[in-house]
Amino acid sequence: MKAGKISMILAAAILAGAFSMTGCGQSAGAAGGEVVIYSNADDEAVEAMKKTLDANGYEGKYLFQTFGTSELGGKVMAEGTDIEADLITLSTFYLDAAQEEQKMFQPLEFDYTLLNSADQKDYCAPITSQEGTIIVNTEVLAENNLDMPACLKDLTKPEYKDLVSVTDIKSSSTAWLLIQALVSGYGEEGAKEALSGIYENAGPHIESSGSAPLKKVRAGEVAIGFGLRQQAVSDKAEGLPIDFVDPTEGNFSLTESVAVVDKGDKTNPLAQEMAECIITQGRSELQKYYPNAVYEGETTDPANSSAYPKVFPEPLTLDLLERHQELSESCK
Amino acid sequence: MVRKEREIKTIYALVLAIFVVFLAVPILRLLLESFVGEAGAGIENYVEVLTGRGFLTALGNSVAVSVCSALLATVLAFFLAYSIQYTNLNKRFKRVIWTLAVLPMLLPTITYGFAIIYSFGRQGLLTRLFGRQLFDIYGFHGLLFGYVIYTLPISFLLILNTMGFIDKKFMVVSRVMGDSPVRTFWQTIIRPLLGTLAASFVQCFFLCFTDYGIPASVGGEYEVVATVLYNEMLGSIPNFNRGAVVAMMMLIPSVLSIALLKYLERYNVRYTRISRIELKKNPARDAVCAAGSSEIIISVLAIFAVIFVVPLVQEWPYQVSFTLEHVRAVLEDSSLSGVYKNSIFVAVCTALAGLLITYGAALATARSGLNGKLKGVIDAIALITNTIPGMVIGIAFMFIFSGTPLQNTFALIILCNVVHFFSTPYLMMRNSLSKLNSSWETTASLMGDTWIKTIVRIVTPNMTSTILEVFSYYFVNAMVTVSAVIFIAGARTMVITTKIKELQYYTKFNEVFVLSLFILGTNLIVKGILGYMIKRKEKKER
Repeated sequence: MKAGKISMILAAAILAGAFSMTGCGQSAGAAGGEVVIYSNADDEAVEAMKKTLDANGYEGKYLFQTFGTSELGGKVMAEGTDIEADLITLSTFYLDAAQEEQKMFQPLEFDYTLLNSADQKDYCAPITSQEGTIIVNTEVLAENNLDMPACLKDLTKPEYKDLVSVTDIKSSSTAWLLIQALVSGYGEEGAKEALSGIYENAGPHIESSGSAPLKKVRAGEVAIGFGLRQQAVSDKAEGLPIDFVDPTEGNFSLTESVAVVDKGDKTNPLAQEMAECIITQGRSELQKYYPNAVYEGETTDPANSSAYPKVFPEPLTLDLLERHQELSESCK
Repeated sequence: MVRKEREIKTIYALVLAIFVVFLAVPILRLLLESFVGEAGAGIENYVEVLTGRGFLTALGNSVAVSVCSALLATVLAFFLAYSIQYTNLNKRFKRVIWTLAVLPMLLPTITYGFAIIYSFGRQGLLTRLFGRQLFDIYGFHGLLFGYVIYTLPISFLLILNTMGFIDKKFMVVSRVMGDSPVRTFWQTIIRPLLGTLAASFVQCFFLCFTDYGIPASVGGEYEVVATVLYNEMLGSIPNFNRGAVVAMMMLIPSVLSIALLKYLERYNVRYTRISRIELKKNPARDAVCAAGSSEIIISVLAIFAVIFVVPLVQEWPYQVSFTLEHVRAVLEDSSLSGVYKNSIFVAVCTALAGLLITYGAALATARSGLNGKLKGVIDAIALITNTIPGMVIGIAFMFIFSGTPLQNTFALIILCNVVHFFSTPYLMMRNSLSKLNSSWETTASLMGDTWIKTIVRIVTPNMTSTILEVFSYYFVNAMVTVSAVIFIAGARTMVITTKIKELQYYTKFNEVFVLSLFILGTNLIVKGILGYMIKRKEKKER
């Protein structure tokens, strides 16, 4: 009798499951009300954007999905307007390439003026500007009786063997800040030499995510990392044994921007509104973590001003990235 | 009397249709894609991939590390199984070994990697206990370690099962005949097990070769085929055609290993009768086995200890005071708790849908008068799904379903899981169904019952144990799988394992471990409840 009951329950459950299965296919599609936001931004930026959107009445009306930079970049290039996202925040050079190849973004419906007018575009607006720097764990340095490095080339010194962590340009754009600095400082050949030395010292600590070297420095896995400057500044302020050194080769920067995917009639009308909200309402919050001024009327807080800000002489395009990726691969 | 069997034919057609749409078409498309190049169709992609820097190295690496792991896992698993079957150790001790040995199955492989980093890394738990780093975790050693933990339970269950079917009386015979202990051991234990040991080796090799979770975390610079595949498909400058080539290359060793498994089946020794005998008293043997198996289990547990430690302290390794803050943070973060709900939903639906489809398929092959060739098709499908790596299915789905209404739906993930894990539960169903009295349907139809009624009222109640086992198999696998799902999960359909991959990118290990604990806890509860139900049912039948 019991067995019969169990099987009845099971049969009922199976039926219910079959119904909910057919139902869920629809519900995921029909829940089109939420704006899906794909982003490669770091945690702090995502939190800042969420906070802004929530404060402006969009709570529960959007869904954030984060990816690695190259993962999302690759996805955007591959899927075009088939992509699930309505709104994308991504490294600007990827958005540029995607727009050029796929014409996949709508013009933004609000006005803004950038400090650097050369970067002004109609289909995307920068959310952050990020600088690279050398980050150190003072405890690990002291434990190993090591000096503070002064420039990127110092990271090739043999005493730092296995104590350096950098990111791989194949997966993270943070690594590009490092390579830009090396190329502009020493030319392509000189950069190759320096990078080979750095990779030699980094060994297994060539990471895929831009924030991984900082995490490894934090965890004491390595003594020195190359990462985003503002993250090191905030760690140091929190009292962790973290310090940073602006490399004499220069602090290069990259911007990430927001863009609205053009899905024709199916474009979610809230996407434009949210993009506008993030830029016009969210920049002050974003600037707490990414202090660099981008828009007219903004200023950079002096504590967060890097020592050697620089801009790469060539425009940052996907082609240049590919060239630098090849350069990096040849150094491994 | 021949019944028309209209119902079973409909079921057969439905099952077949599902596999045509969700297996045959995607895989053929993938094959096609691998031949499409910028300059038209041809083998250009293959030449490019095979001559390209890195691929052959990765292939070599994959083979090397998979062979070593498979060997090691099989040897260790044999030792554990031997300790349970051939010693007079305490029953409760054996029970503990048994339970703990299969524990890793309840966690996703991607978690193992992080557990290894936090155990053996420079600041790892074990490194701190030992005062020095025991070995370099990134690359070969890390992979080896991860793969062995991953495959140990599977190998263990396989060997333990066959050992249970070996007649131990032959040991007495061998001894009476004056064989040396080594010879007895060889003739009465190893010889009958050879087929299974080889099968275990092949199965472990296949699992290591196709796993993505472990290399994703501890691969380091040691590239394996799975990482190459991932980078071609979702790297910074993706090339789908080359990715398709890599996927096809991944299929070759898989097909070979399954063919080998099929071949090895004939070496399985079958004893007609299993006699229960008292094992010879041998305290030395028992002591060695107790120490050895404890050692193995403790090593595995030691690695998983960090999953419990890291998320429950402030900031590893600098502030090690106890806190529940990270657990609370995960529970409060709606994006994370939502992912947990998604996972449960997917696992339950996968289990139910899988149950229906395997039941239907098994009814068609075990309890119908369908043509033998038609039945053969379903058996072939089972074999094929066992051969195809999850990553390959995921990528094939990506090709076929992008731009369709199925893109980014739970239904797609569920169907993917059902197809991916079809083989084992189907065989379980088929075996149980064919053991039931074959005349039930005919008798019932003579009595005027419809076929459906017979299945629901007579066959199904006799299948409860198997149904529960199949449910549990699908549920647990759906909870821990990452390889296929990683390519087809969208923002609304994230599950825990894909979320872990995302958190890994941000190196948020607290969250990774908390979510892993959720998976472990859920699987333990589900397996516990179902296991209890099965046991009660079996007790009653006895």
